[in-house]
Amino acid sequence: MSQYTNIIVIADQIQGDLRPVTMELLGAASELAEKLGVKTHAIVMGSQISHIPEVLIHNGADEVYVVDQPELKEYSTLTYRRAAITVIESLPKPPHIILCGATTLGRDLAPRIAAYFETGLTADCTELDIGDYVHKGKADPNKTGTFNNCLYAIRPSFGESLKARILGPWKNPQMATARTGAMIPFKTDTTRTGKITPMTVKFEDSDFRLKVIETVREVSSDLDLLKAKVIVSGGFGLGGPEGFEVVRDLASAFSESAVGSSRKAVDSGWIPYSHQVGQTGKTVRPRLYIALGISGAIQHRVGMSNSAMILAVNKDESAPIFQFAHYGIVGDLFEIAPLLKEQFKQAVPA
Amino acid sequence: MSDGLRMAVLIKQVPDTSSATGVNPDGTVDRARAKKMINPFDKFALQKAIEVRNARGGEIFVISMGPPPAIAVLHEALEYGADKGYLLGDRRLAASDTLATAYALYKAVLYLKDIDIIFTGLQTTDGDTAQTGPQIAERMGVPQISYCETMEIEGKTVKATRIIDGGVQRLEVEMPVLITVANSAVKLEHKRFANVYKTKQALRDKDALADKIFTVDLDEVEADATRVGLVGSPTVVGKTWKIGEKGGSCKVFKGAAPKHEVELLVDEISKDERGVMEFVL
Ligand SMILES: Cc1cc2nc3c(=O)[nH]c(=O)nc-3n(C[C@H](O)[C@H](O)[C@H](O)COP(=O)(O)OP(=O)(O)OC[C@H]3O[C@@H](n4cnc5c(N)ncnc54)[C@H](O)[C@@H]3O)c2cc1C
Ligand SMILES: Nc1ncnc2c1ncn2[C@@H]1O[C@H](COP(=O)(O)O)[C@@H](O)[C@H]1O
Repeated sequence: MSQYTNIIVIADQIQGDLRPVTMELLGAASELAEKLGVKTHAIVMGSQISHIPEVLIHNGADEVYVVDQPELKEYSTLTYRRAAITVIESLPKPPHIILCGATTLGRDLAPRIAAYFETGLTADCTELDIGDYVHKGKADPNKTGTFNNCLYAIRPSFGESLKARILGPWKNPQMATARTGAMIPFKTDTTRTGKITPMTVKFEDSDFRLKVIETVREVSSDLDLLKAKVIVSGGFGLGGPEGFEVVRDLASAFSESAVGSSRKAVDSGWIPYSHQVGQTGKTVRPRLYIALGISGAIQHRVGMSNSAMILAVNKDESAPIFQFAHYGIVGDLFEIAPLLKEQFKQAVPA
Repeated sequence: MSDGLRMAVLIKQVPDTSSATGVNPDGTVDRARAKKMINPFDKFALQKAIEVRNARGGEIFVISMGPPPAIAVLHEALEYGADKGYLLGDRRLAASDTLATAYALYKAVLYLKDIDIIFTGLQTTDGDTAQTGPQIAERMGVPQISYCETMEIEGKTVKATRIIDGGVQRLEVEMPVLITVANSAVKLEHKRFANVYKTKQALRDKDALADKIFTVDLDEVEADATRVGLVGSPTVVGKTWKIGEKGGSCKVFKGAAPKHEVELLVDEISKDERGVMEFVL
C-alpha cells in the first residue's frame, strides 16, 4: 500500500449532463495516481444522476462517491459545498489531491472547499504532475524541508508568457482546478469496474440561503465548441456583428464545425460569451482552427494553441498570430474567407 | 439615507501590460518599473456598485490590499464615484497567496461593519485565479454569486443571473452576499464612467481626500499576522519558465493576387499530414 492517500476528482455535471472536463480530470488523475501508487476516486453530486457513476468508472475512476438528493437538482454553491465537504470529511484521512474543472462551476466551488480546509488551490492549470520539492526559504522555518511526491500544479502566468509551477506540500488535500481541453481524457473502457458508494448529506437551513430559480442552458452552441473538429473564429478585425456572417459561412464548409471568437468581439457585443476562446473563455483543441481578424494576444493563444493546425488570416503581416500559426495568409478577411471556402470545396471532389 | 446599502468593492492595483513601460522585450513584466492600473475587471465591479448606489442610495467603500503606491487606485475609484477608500497596507502581507489574501480582505470587510454587498472583479490580470472572491465569501459565511451578469435589488433581496457553462442561472439571495461581476455585466456604453470628469473636478482639492482615504494595517483590522504573508500562505511558486515559442514555423502566403495565394495555401494544406481535408463538406 502506498503511503499516500487517494486522489479525488469532483465531477462537473449540470442537470445530469456530465461535462467533458470531468473525463479530462480523470485522465490526469489516473496518471498522477499511478505515479503515487494510489487510486482515483470521484465525487458526483446531483439529483437523479444514477447513470453517471458508471460513466466515471469507465473513464478512470476506481471508486465513486455519489450524493444523489433532490436538494442538489440545480447547482448551488452552498448545497454543493456542503455535499462535497461532507464526503471529504467522512474519509479516514484527507485525500492527497483534489481536482476540479476550471469551469464556471468548479471556479465557484473549489475556492470555497479550499478555504474551508485552509489549504492551497491553484487555479486554471494546464498541466499536472507529481514530483519532489525542496523548500529553502528561511522566512518560515516550519516550511523548510524536502517534500516528496507533491502535486505540481502548472499554469500559465498571464500577460507574462511564462509558465509557473505552484506547490503546496505542507497540507493535504493539495488542490487544483484544470482548464477544459488542457488534459488528455482517459481512454474510455466500458468493461472497467469499480466501487460505487452512495452517501447521504444532511443539509443545514443556511445552505438554502441561495435560491436557484431556474437554470437555462443553450446546450448546443457550447458543446459544439468543445467537440468541434474545425473551429472558425472571428476577432475585432470583423468590424461588427455582421462580420460573423463571413465566419459562419466559412464554417459551413466543414463538418463538425463551430464558431469561436476573441474576447474583443465578445466585449463589443458582437457574439455571446459562450463563443469566446481563450484565457477567460474556452480552451479548444480542434483539428483545424481558422482565425479571421484575430491578432493572437497571449490570452487568446492559450485557449487555442493546442489545435492540431492553425490557419490565420490577418491583413497585418506583423500580427503576433503569425508567430505561432502553422499557415497564414496576409490579406483582407472579407476577401480571403470566401476564397478559402471555394478553394477548400474545390480541393475535395464531391 | 436609512435604507441605503453599505457596499464594499475590492480593487487591486496590477501592472499595465498594455503599456510598453516595464514590459521586457521577451514579454515578462518588470513589476518595479511597470506602469500600474486598476485591475480592469474591478472597474466593472465598481461600475456595478455605482449603478446600485445611484438607484438605491447608500455608500461605497473601496478596499485595496497592497503596498503604499496602491493608494492611487483608491484615488481613481473615488474619482469614478466611490465614497471612501481603504488601503490595507502592511509589510507582513507581502507574498500572500489567494488564501491569505482572502483572509486579510475578509478582516478588512469586517472592519467596515455591516456590509450588505461585497463586490469583486471576476479575476485579476496578474494573480488571475478568480478565487479571492469566493474565498472571502467562505470566510464570511455568506453566499456568493460568481460570474454575475445582471442584478436587481428589492429591499435586502438580490435577484441575479449568473453565467454557467452553456447558459445562465437565475438566483435569489438575501444580503449579505458577495458578488463577482462578469465583464459582460456592464453594458458597453456604460463601460466608460460617465461621471468621471465631474467628480474629478471636485477632488482636485486634495484636502477633500483627507477624510475619504485611509490606510489601515493588520492590527487595526484585527487580523492574525500568522495567517497572512509567506507564513500564512499554503502555496508557493516553485519555478517559472518561458512558454515554448513555436515561432518561425508559420508558412505565410501573401501577394497581389489573393486568389492565387489561397490556391497555393489550400494545396499545401491538402498535403499536410495533419489531415484536415476529411472535414470539408
Ligand atoms: C485578463 C485577460 C483575459 C483575457 N482573456 C481573453 C480571452 O479569453 N480570449 C481572448 O480572445 N482575449 C482575451 N483577452 C484579450 C486579449 O488580450 C486581446 O485584447 C484580444 O484577444 C484581442 O482580440 P482581437 O485579436 O480580436 O482584436 P485585436 O487585437 O484588435 O486584433 C484584430 C486583428 O484583426 C486584424 N484585422 C483588422 N481588419 C482586418 C481585415 N479586414 N482583414 C483581416 N484582418 C483584419 C488586425 O490586423 C488585428 O491583428 C484577455 C485580456 C486580459 C487582460
Ligand atoms: N490585493 C487585492 N486587493 C483588493 N482586492 C483584491 C486583491 N486581490 C484580489 N482582489 C479581488 O479579488 C478578485 C479576484 O482576484 P484573483 O483571485 O486574484 O483573480 C479581484 O478582481 C479583486 O476584486
